[in-house]
Amino acid sequence: MQAVRVEARNLQLSYGATPVLRDITLTVEPGEFFAILGPSGSGKSTLLRLIAGFARHQAGELLVGGKDVTGVVPWKRNVGMVFQNYALWPHMTVARNVAFGLEERRLPREEVRRRTEAALQLVGLDGYGGRRPSQLSGGQQQRVAIARTLAIEPQVLLLDEPLSNLDARLRLQMREELLALHRRLGVTTIFVTHDQEEAMTICDRIAVMDHGVIQQVGTPIELFDEPANRFVAGFVGSVNLFEGELRASDVFVSPLLGECRLPAGLATRPLGPACLAFRPHAVRVDAAAAPGGDGLGFDGTIAAASFQGETMRYEVRVGGASVIAEQPHRRGGTGWRDGTPVRLQVAADELRLIAA
Amino acid sequence: MILVAVALAIAAFLAVFLAAPVASVFHAAFASGSGGFTLAHFESFLQISLMRESFWNSLSVAALSAVFASLIAVPLAYFTVRFRFRGALLIQTLGVLPLIMPPFVGAVAMQLLFGRSGSVNLLLNDAFGVAIPFMDGLNGVVFVESLHYFPFILLNLVVSLRNIDGAMEESAQNLGASGWRLFRRIIFPLALPGYVAGASLVFVKVFDDLGTPLVLGTTNMLAPQAYLRITSIGIEDPIGYVISVVMVVFSVAALWASARVLKGRDFATLQRGGASLQRRELSPWQQAAASAWVGLVLLLVLSPHLGILLMSLSRVWSFSVLPEGFTLAHYATVFAQSTGMIVNTLVYCGAAALIDVALGAAIAYLILRTRLPGRQLLDLAASSALAVPGVVLAIGYLRAFRGLELPFLQTAFTASALALVMAYAVRRLPYALRSCMAVLAQLHVSLEEAAENLGASKARTVRRIVVPLMAGGILAGFVTSFITAAVELSATIVLSSSASRAPMSYGIYLYMQSIAGRGPGAALGMIAVVIVGLGTYASHWLLERRSAAVARPIA
Amino acid sequence: MHPKWLVAALALGIVSRPVLADTITVVTSFPSELTNAYKAAYEKKYPNDKVEILNKGTSAGIAYVREQPAGSRAEIFWASAPDAFEVLSSAKLLEKVEVPTQGIPDKIGSYPINDPEGLYRGQALAGYGLMWNTRYLQAHKLPAPKEWVDLVKPVYFGHLATSAPSRSGTTHLTFETILQGEGWDKGWNQILQIAGNCAAVTERSFGVPDGVQNGQYGIGLVIDFFGLAAKASGFPVEFVYPSMTSIVPANIAAVAGSKSAEGAKRFMQYTLSEEGQQLLLDPKISRLPVLPSTYAKAPAGYPNPFSGTIQAKVNFDTALSESRYYVVSSLFDQVITFRHKELQAATKAIQDAEKRLAGRASPQLDEARKLAWTPPLSAEQARDKELLAVFKAKKGDDAALRRKTQIEEEWSSKAKANYARAVELASAAK
Repeated sequence: MQAVRVEARNLQLSYGATPVLRDITLTVEPGEFFAILGPSGSGKSTLLRLIAGFARHQAGELLVGGKDVTGVVPWKRNVGMVFQNYALWPHMTVARNVAFGLEERRLPREEVRRRTEAALQLVGLDGYGGRRPSQLSGGQQQRVAIARTLAIEPQVLLLDEPLSNLDARLRLQMREELLALHRRLGVTTIFVTHDQEEAMTICDRIAVMDHGVIQQVGTPIELFDEPANRFVAGFVGSVNLFEGELRASDVFVSPLLGECRLPAGLATRPLGPACLAFRPHAVRVDAAAAPGGDGLGFDGTIAAASFQGETMRYEVRVGGASVIAEQPHRRGGTGWRDGTPVRLQVAADELRLIAA
Repeated sequence: MILVAVALAIAAFLAVFLAAPVASVFHAAFASGSGGFTLAHFESFLQISLMRESFWNSLSVAALSAVFASLIAVPLAYFTVRFRFRGALLIQTLGVLPLIMPPFVGAVAMQLLFGRSGSVNLLLNDAFGVAIPFMDGLNGVVFVESLHYFPFILLNLVVSLRNIDGAMEESAQNLGASGWRLFRRIIFPLALPGYVAGASLVFVKVFDDLGTPLVLGTTNMLAPQAYLRITSIGIEDPIGYVISVVMVVFSVAALWASARVLKGRDFATLQRGGASLQRRELSPWQQAAASAWVGLVLLLVLSPHLGILLMSLSRVWSFSVLPEGFTLAHYATVFAQSTGMIVNTLVYCGAAALIDVALGAAIAYLILRTRLPGRQLLDLAASSALAVPGVVLAIGYLRAFRGLELPFLQTAFTASALALVMAYAVRRLPYALRSCMAVLAQLHVSLEEAAENLGASKARTVRRIVVPLMAGGILAGFVTSFITAAVELSATIVLSSSASRAPMSYGIYLYMQSIAGRGPGAALGMIAVVIVGLGTYASHWLLERRSAAVARPIA
Repeated sequence: MHPKWLVAALALGIVSRPVLADTITVVTSFPSELTNAYKAAYEKKYPNDKVEILNKGTSAGIAYVREQPAGSRAEIFWASAPDAFEVLSSAKLLEKVEVPTQGIPDKIGSYPINDPEGLYRGQALAGYGLMWNTRYLQAHKLPAPKEWVDLVKPVYFGHLATSAPSRSGTTHLTFETILQGEGWDKGWNQILQIAGNCAAVTERSFGVPDGVQNGQYGIGLVIDFFGLAAKASGFPVEFVYPSMTSIVPANIAAVAGSKSAEGAKRFMQYTLSEEGQQLLLDPKISRLPVLPSTYAKAPAGYPNPFSGTIQAKVNFDTALSESRYYVVSSLFDQVITFRHKELQAATKAIQDAEKRLAGRASPQLDEARKLAWTPPLSAEQARDKELLAVFKAKKGDDAALRRKTQIEEEWSSKAKANYARAVELASAAK
């Protein structure tokens, strides 16, 4: 399959007076496994449907493989979409379902049969051709949906929350399989989800959306380490976030934390309102009298502790604020007890200042 | 665009075969001799005491029929839903039996069974010396109609009751309510939508019915008067049109009033995972009483069927409880003379049903799947046929299309089978439309989008995905259209003239016009009942096949 | 949508079925036994022709023919009531047809069988009489009636049935016969009393024999063939011709401006031929042929109007009947048909009073009788040309229609008031 680039330029879409997509610009590189991540109502599904042709934008351009597809009907776009509820046709067998797109392209019967079998094999369902969708499990149904789309060898593969309807174990399994398929076929894939863990695990790049606006586009690590704003910071992974004011290039005053001395070079923002952010796993928890290091230090008291398996998660009261700290758990460790005074340390390069 | 063309074609069909005739009826009612607007005809209508009498009679017969139908249906509905009643299956059958016997056919038999010198009264007279005027005048009409139409209330009410969340009842009991108070304050109000839907339908159908009063000889009602005036006095008789307008206005009013009552009371309260009302056990005494009631109703319901069967087989049945002498000669006569009519019915009603499902599916698709401006108007227009009585539509055809000759065929349109087919199709379209909409609404749009995504154009998607998945509902709609058209008499009487082009219902009516024809008429009636019964069974079977998640009210 | 083409084809198929032969359309009020017999026999003799029967009541038939455009009208009009033919011929809707008439006499009694202008021909003869259900009379211990005037007796209260002149041409004839025989005043007096004894005024003339046949009513005023056919079919009924009856022809005519004048002629000729006349003798049909020679083949005891076995005292004046056709119909409707309950109540009250008084004179009772059983239109008024014109007015004449409605309302309310008063007086009579 040939990999193509998908480009959105200043897309605007409103339903009546309600804007749903505002000025969407992004580029999905050929062969990328791209995620659109956001909470419900962010417009991510609308964007996907727009690419498929089921929604029309009022302004902007959408290019698939270099060609503007604005106004092109869905059945002529050759972008394959896997629907959230799989949309398998109950009155057709699995084989007929998978063969559908090929039949619509009027391919000779022999080729249809060959490619149908190949598609089913690709998803591990060869031999299931004669069954009906109602006879399959959820995971199997999804594979049929994928096979059906792959059979036509689309330019782009669109996946609309494909894993939300699966139970946890199956979800993990399907993630791996999707990744494997993508590696094998190399087709440009756009994957819509609200689950940040999913997006981070398997995608090359992610676009985070909220309220119809793209908040940030980047690789998972970029998003995690350098969130562009509060929303991204809070949505991708958990974060400690404190509002306050940057008084000087090294002074941050927060009503909850009080005055903090910032390490040199951190403040690249103008003075004024800002947020101080650092991840829980970046917070070191030491005994109360531990010596400080570079970065920030706080004194606090353990308010609550919860065991996460791989980590121990502490809620620490620091002044008027709560700071979440995560410590790796080693076998036999019991962690800090509630009420213990502790000293928290955050390394300089784990601190970030983002817009308020 | 194909969609626009389809929408326009549907609009044209409705305009020609529904709007134009009704408009011409209204025009005739309000037009003066010289062509201007006048209320003089309405004044005349109000001055003629026969008209006033017919108006009150029609209203009261319709209302009384609704009342008696309720008396039969409400206890039966309650038994089925509330109690673990062993005759529950029987009650289900009761909900179907009356509908397969066309009322005007049953009416004749009821005369023999319940008339002044009918079987029942003869027995009563011998035993107690009394006779009950079951079938005298308007009583006869009310009796026959309630017995035929009560299933509408029964079925709708059962669905409504079954949809009540048991938690509603339990919380009321928790707060101290029980028995009659519980029923009155909680259960019945929540079941009201089903009851109102059924009762208003009964009212409108009885109000509009032409065949039954005509066959029973009760002509001081609106529908027979309209028919008699137009056919005997002439097509120019303004009073006939005034009556038609009055009938349409009242049908619309009744339907509107019921919609008002139901508005904002969407009481489908059953939650996911919730249970229905509690089912109680009956004490043996109560079981016996309930069985007796059901048994009595069953006997009443079966009486027209039994009567027609006996009539079709009897040689002489006069002033006696049962006929004397049985014969198959009447069936022989029917098969010798009237097979043409049976074929006519199959062809006309089949054609009408075909038109109905094609239009119904098309309108449903336009409404649910497109954003064509004005598509709601199509729905409204198609559904408005419910409020137009059959006799009025037919009179409208006579007026709007008089003088129109079909090209090449040298037949007047109004005398042709085409007029009948269109009248049937238009009047049954609302039901087919509702059926198609219900089916299409349950079809998730993603099934069509998946097809489009894979390269099928809208037209191909409709053909390969939508229609096959709608098939069960479409077929059910086809069958319902067919069987209701097969026993329709109101429009049929007005539009049928020649015996050879007439459908079965007219044939039965004709046979019943002579003494020697009563037997064959009953035989033809039995054949009609069998056809309708088979059709009903087929429709139920088709609906069972597609897995309906929620039972829908039937109309 | 493909199904639509299918439908159009189907539709065209439906409609185009019976057009290729010579079609003879017959508008008739006769029942299907008769029409089926003639259709079958005729089509057997003339296989290229097809007979289309349009079954319509007399007035519906007239309206139907009137409303068809010239050139595409039905071929034949065939009905019992002669006045219907008068109405059609004065509207110039009938055509003279040359059909040989050997054997068919000119008159029956003193009544002409055929139209003097030759626009319509008598095809069968009919008398009017009383039909009763023997079991019913037995069960209710009623004596068998012989004359119309017998039916006014109180013993028959609630056991009779009749139709209305407005709904049935033959009922109109029956009552017109009584009016012509007894005179306007005495005639209406009798009619009102009989109607008061009736249990019902049925919608079609057929409702009467049907009700008698299945035992709903005891005695009915019917055309002879209803009674004769029912008896021949084995039903427990009897039929008798009162002496105050007339034998009138049931006519057949060719409609002017029909599609096939030739076809009309052929059919008419057939019905008047020996073969056609014999069909009338079938027990299920039981009509009286106009061709006297047919009676030789009739079963024993079959009534024969030519041999004098039926006493027909009344010489029916068709012109008189036609001139007051609508007035009589409407008057009957307003004071009897639509006021039947009140009339019944008045009759019952009077009969009860008579029983109570046992022959004693009572001015109140006399007054009651007068109120109940005198029509609100006198013989003099009934001859008034203006009145007759109003009732003959046609569509578009809004003024006349309004006047007609007004007059009818007057009759109706006067009758209602009279009957109510009669009840009062009769109940109070001592």
